[in-house]
Amino acid sequence: MTTLDERVAQNGLVSRLIVRPEIGALIGALAVFVFFSIVADKFLTAAGVATWLDDSATLGIMAVAVALLMIGGEFDLSAGVMTASTALVTAILAVEVGLNVWLALLLSLVFALGVGALNGWIVVRTGLPSFIVTLGTFLALQGLNLGITRLVTNSVQVSGMRSTDGYESAGFVFASTFQVGDTPFQISIVWWLGFAALAAWVLVRTKFGNWTFAVGGSAPSARAVGVPVRRTKILLFMTTAAAGWLVGSINILRFTTVQANQGIGLEFQFIIAAVIGGCLLTGGFGSAIGAAIGALIFGMARQGIVFANWNSDWFMLFLGIMLLGAVLVNNTFRRRAERVRR
Amino acid sequence: MSTETEPGDVLLTMSGIVKTFPGVRALDGVDLEVRAGEVHCLLGQNGAGKSTLIKVLAGAHQPDGGEIVWQGKPTTLGSPVAALRIGVATMYQELDLVDGLSVAENIFLGHEPNAFGFTRRGHMRAEARKLMRRLGHPEIPVGREVGLLSAAGQQLVSMARALAHDARLIVMDEPTAALAADEVDNLFRVVADLTAEGVAIVYISHRLEEIRRIGNRVTVIKDGRTVASNLDSHTPTAELVNLMSGRNVETVFPHREANTTDSSHEVLVVEGLTRASEFADVSFTVNAGEIVGIAGLVGAGRSEVLETVYGARKADSGTVVVDGKRLRPGNVPAAVAAGVGLAPEERKSQALLLDQSVANNVVLASLPEYSRAGFSDIRRELRDARATLERLDLRPADPRREVRTLSGGNQQKAVVARWLVRDCKVLLLDEPTRGVDVGARAELYRLIHELAASGVAVLLVSSEVPEVLGLSDRVLVMREGRLLTEAPASELTEAAVLDMVMEGSEVMA
Repeated sequence: MTTLDERVAQNGLVSRLIVRPEIGALIGALAVFVFFSIVADKFLTAAGVATWLDDSATLGIMAVAVALLMIGGEFDLSAGVMTASTALVTAILAVEVGLNVWLALLLSLVFALGVGALNGWIVVRTGLPSFIVTLGTFLALQGLNLGITRLVTNSVQVSGMRSTDGYESAGFVFASTFQVGDTPFQISIVWWLGFAALAAWVLVRTKFGNWTFAVGGSAPSARAVGVPVRRTKILLFMTTAAAGWLVGSINILRFTTVQANQGIGLEFQFIIAAVIGGCLLTGGFGSAIGAAIGALIFGMARQGIVFANWNSDWFMLFLGIMLLGAVLVNNTFRRRAERVRR
Repeated sequence: MSTETEPGDVLLTMSGIVKTFPGVRALDGVDLEVRAGEVHCLLGQNGAGKSTLIKVLAGAHQPDGGEIVWQGKPTTLGSPVAALRIGVATMYQELDLVDGLSVAENIFLGHEPNAFGFTRRGHMRAEARKLMRRLGHPEIPVGREVGLLSAAGQQLVSMARALAHDARLIVMDEPTAALAADEVDNLFRVVADLTAEGVAIVYISHRLEEIRRIGNRVTVIKDGRTVASNLDSHTPTAELVNLMSGRNVETVFPHREANTTDSSHEVLVVEGLTRASEFADVSFTVNAGEIVGIAGLVGAGRSEVLETVYGARKADSGTVVVDGKRLRPGNVPAAVAAGVGLAPEERKSQALLLDQSVANNVVLASLPEYSRAGFSDIRRELRDARATLERLDLRPADPRREVRTLSGGNQQKAVVARWLVRDCKVLLLDEPTRGVDVGARAELYRLIHELAASGVAVLLVSSEVPEVLGLSDRVLVMREGRLLTEAPASELTEAAVLDMVMEGSEVMA
């Protein structure tokens, strides 16, 4: 009985807080915030805040989706290039084919969900590591982006969204700004916060969230109690692809132009943000809010360095230190929490 | 929800259950009858078929023959989910829990109470709290992550999950193995409460003392068959041991030409070896050309002694001397240099590089001897590996083949070959025939004899008592971390050893 009683004593607020996966990211975000508030004057102005929140937003939407997938025990390396593929599909359908933007967006979403489902289906059917499977889709999409864009437009970009049907209304939903005081903030920030809140809620409050932890933590155990492991994983891949579509749509409607080689390399930023936010590479552990905070660290650091008039070369150094720091903090607290259980 | 059975009614009848795996007939007509509200103990030596039987009962294995009747109706248990659905829950030694989820989430995983697709979290937590209270542990917070609970706490969660599935029968596979004494008392209290409510427990343990404390009836299994059922749990030890022993071991132990022990040459001398909470004051010697076997249950400290001799664990006190030279404690390279080799129990994870060739695996412990100026002498590696493989009759005798593609018996030979190319003096074998099919076992036995004949001192550990007796010249019996007896194998009977191994657990308690 003694061991069980001791465990209750350990159940205070602080000890419950430090085993949260977000703890490392939270400390990191505070540190970065305070640091740049001191060294860069413009960092704390309304315009400054709008800038780094915007930078965090599109990354954050993807980081949250990738975090869900990683908790479910899988990777998606095609997530970065997916943001370009969906933008290209929308742009080609609207500009070159002449469809209404809303219809183009819908078809682009169907395309994204199809690719996500294909990723998931191959992974659960073959048992191959998703790292390899999605590396394949990543390269294939990269090739398709360039090949088809050149075929259709004879160049490596699609532009001219501004003159398409439905641009105004779609742009209002995905790429408008809202005023806080006199400062315009991008609507993408609202999408980011909304998506993170939704994902966090699904993760901790719904059956699907439980299943996500279960398939990533121990797929055989989950299967033994009747969790549909395959369906859960496929849906997670589709969620990631859908998030890619959301970011792609935000980008194409805001910039009205898309380059065929966009998005490459972003997949690792998503994974880094998710890991800073407390996801384990092995699955079964992590947090959607943590991933959103991880993206916030990215945005604050990237723009903070600009505001401080430093060379952006320093960004990667900064990022590396943040990544190691957050992971070390998480690891230390976890280990301590696991020790007290004995 | 089917609660029409009253305590004492027959809940489950399994008859003539047969299950074959390639090369092994694991179950050869097992019968088991379980009544509502009883603790039914399943007894049998390692390899008797207990694990296979409970996997059939859990729906994880499909039987090749026989009949399962549940509450009077013939039933097939097609999957773990199907078994859970009719009310059979299994608690394996490795609990089926998800560390990252909370207690409540684990309990209701796969059958979450929900309304319109949303989990009714408050309801779920309240139900989980009710279950923990029913198990006598309301203090375990249901929101706590399961990975942060103790082994005993996790076991309670697993039990709560069984109850949440409205289980009428709970299978417990050695549930006390990971528990401290006070936690065992608590487990037994919970078991008593459950049976009072009409839940049946199938209880597997090697500890007769526990069986006497909580068991109602006992079924004994041997060689995949039921040899006795409906026994009272207070059946005398001698009778139980007699039923379990005399296994019709399919392998004939090869005739030993002559005892090759050279008692003038003590190769391995172990004195007063102690590691806190694992084993204490273990002393023995192994002569050149001698085979010494350690008998005991899993957890008696046998493997730990072997690994300490090898230096993989560091002794708190005591000495290991090989050929007159005292080994530095906790230092594997020193032990290897002195001529000690270990073939560990988990050979796939602890010994072999599965995707590498046999030759690479064989020379792994002798790489310095095979390198010139930092480069491997591949031709010599292949030549020596091939010679050793021929000596061991490893098939196919192709040193370039990937180890993964070999059978269990041949993989074991590859591990032994690793030490032979080094001319090792002391060979430590931990469960050498585990996962090796019957035919290949005889070959391994013959190989071990040959090694001894060539002057190697062999120290082996096995959970199968007949194997220890059939193979060794001298036998050491361990229980609860102590060496109980040392005697020539010819003076011991299987029943006598089983009796020593199993009786009570008072030694260290």
